[in-house]
Amino acid sequence: MSNLAAHRLSGPPGVAPPGPAVETHGLVKHYKGRDGVVEAVCGVDLRVEAGEVFGFLGPNGAGKSTTVRMLTTLLSITSGTARVAGVDIATSPDEARLRMGVALQEAGLDPRQTGRELLVLQCRLFGVSPDDAASRAQQLLELVDLTEAADRRIKGYSGGMKRRLDLASALVHEPQVLFLDEPTTGLDPASRLVVWEEVRRINARGTTVFLTTQYLEEADQLCDRIAIIDGGRIVREGTPSSLKAELRDRLGLDDEPSLDDVFLDATGRTRERVAGVVREVGA
Amino acid sequence: MSYTWILGRRALREALRTPEALVPTLFIPIFFLVVNLGQAGKIFPSSTTGFLNGQNYAAFQLPSSMLLAASFGTAALFLVEDIEGGYFDKLRSSPVPRTSLVLGRLVAELVKGLAIAAVLVLLAFPFGIHLASGFVGFLLLIALTALWAVVYVGFMQLIALKTRSAAATNSGGLIFFPLLFLTPNFVPRHMLTRPMEIAATFNPVTYVMEALRSLILQDLVWGRVFAGFGVVGALGVVMVLLNLRMIRHYD
Repeated sequence: MSNLAAHRLSGPPGVAPPGPAVETHGLVKHYKGRDGVVEAVCGVDLRVEAGEVFGFLGPNGAGKSTTVRMLTTLLSITSGTARVAGVDIATSPDEARLRMGVALQEAGLDPRQTGRELLVLQCRLFGVSPDDAASRAQQLLELVDLTEAADRRIKGYSGGMKRRLDLASALVHEPQVLFLDEPTTGLDPASRLVVWEEVRRINARGTTVFLTTQYLEEADQLCDRIAIIDGGRIVREGTPSSLKAELRDRLGLDDEPSLDDVFLDATGRTRERVAGVVREVGA
Repeated sequence: MSYTWILGRRALREALRTPEALVPTLFIPIFFLVVNLGQAGKIFPSSTTGFLNGQNYAAFQLPSSMLLAASFGTAALFLVEDIEGGYFDKLRSSPVPRTSLVLGRLVAELVKGLAIAAVLVLLAFPFGIHLASGFVGFLLLIALTALWAVVYVGFMQLIALKTRSAAATNSGGLIFFPLLFLTPNFVPRHMLTRPMEIAATFNPVTYVMEALRSLILQDLVWGRVFAGFGVVGALGVVMVLLNLRMIRHYD
């Protein structure tokens, strides 16, 4: 991947919309479960500015993926509104899909296709002509350093290769907003660094990145601003440094707290409880 | 239509790259043809069995094998794999009409069904079968079989989209066997016991089977042919509409 810098995509990236890249008001998702209604997301208000890398953090089951699935039109919205790249996702989902790229938690790939076939197909689904699709696929394969494996079936790819291909497939149409749901989960440290490099490169080209992650170090490294969701509600929002400073001032700490400390404070957890120690912990 | 065809071609490529799923589609129906011929061939000799119209019992059994071949529904199992592996969400996040997401596989099933039906007919020739309805009958035979395959995959896709489970989809597909055995599978309808005859009369598969059988044993009997295509057409419309409704409400 060291030669990635040489492999720049030709053509301009998606033109940033004039307003916020992502904006939600009172976003709610309720499910009907066996024990009644489950309130997965309870009135989320978000505003992500164009060009940002925005981190969306939360413990398991907090509502991260549900929110992302709503924003990417994969899940219906119970109530509230959401706009991506200026487009209302409920009333104009196809227009919104044209402006966003999506790489979900599970690298959604077809193992029976080759990497090249998958990218060409993805291009065609976004309305690219067959000839342009072939050249675009080649560009993206070079971008994510998969040219040698391009004509091999995806089922033989490593986890890191699949993740890079998934990322490339989300970029076929040069989206204005890229949603990445836990893009480095399950990757080894080297592959994780490669994905980070890609995210920075994509963002540098003007694409807004909406990133969910369980790795707080990842959020600290990549994100301009973060929001922490817990129990379906946003419990903290700001830049990593402002959130740390707020915690330090509020608790009167001598040392700079880490983003882990901010996360644990925001979600009402303690290191001991997270580690599974069964005892009460004083403040 | 272009998005549907793009996705249909992908589904065909998927099928061709999984020969282990295609081979049973041909082998098992031929196996049933051989076994049924071996078990009942002597009971129904062509010289004294009027409903065979001078052919052997394999000709009477071939429609059962063709319907069986068209009712494997592997495309629905591939759909479950897409759902479980996350690729279906990747497709859903593209600006493709929702209708194309389900119609693509149905179009592919039509093409696959035509090929499988044609191969089955060719494989049946060594059993001494000939098509009394000629080349036009051959075309109608494979078209009707392929359209039944679309209907049945449409049904199994409904299970796949509803349950998102390979086990449930696979189990749902087994419903074909009771439907097959409630048809005039071994003898014509008028020779069945009264309860079986009533059951067969209410079973839509009966009319498809009788249409296929008429194309093999008789010249073009348009009443039978239209009944078969009518049943498949009506069920096809229902399945497509239900699939479209399901994909539009898919969360």
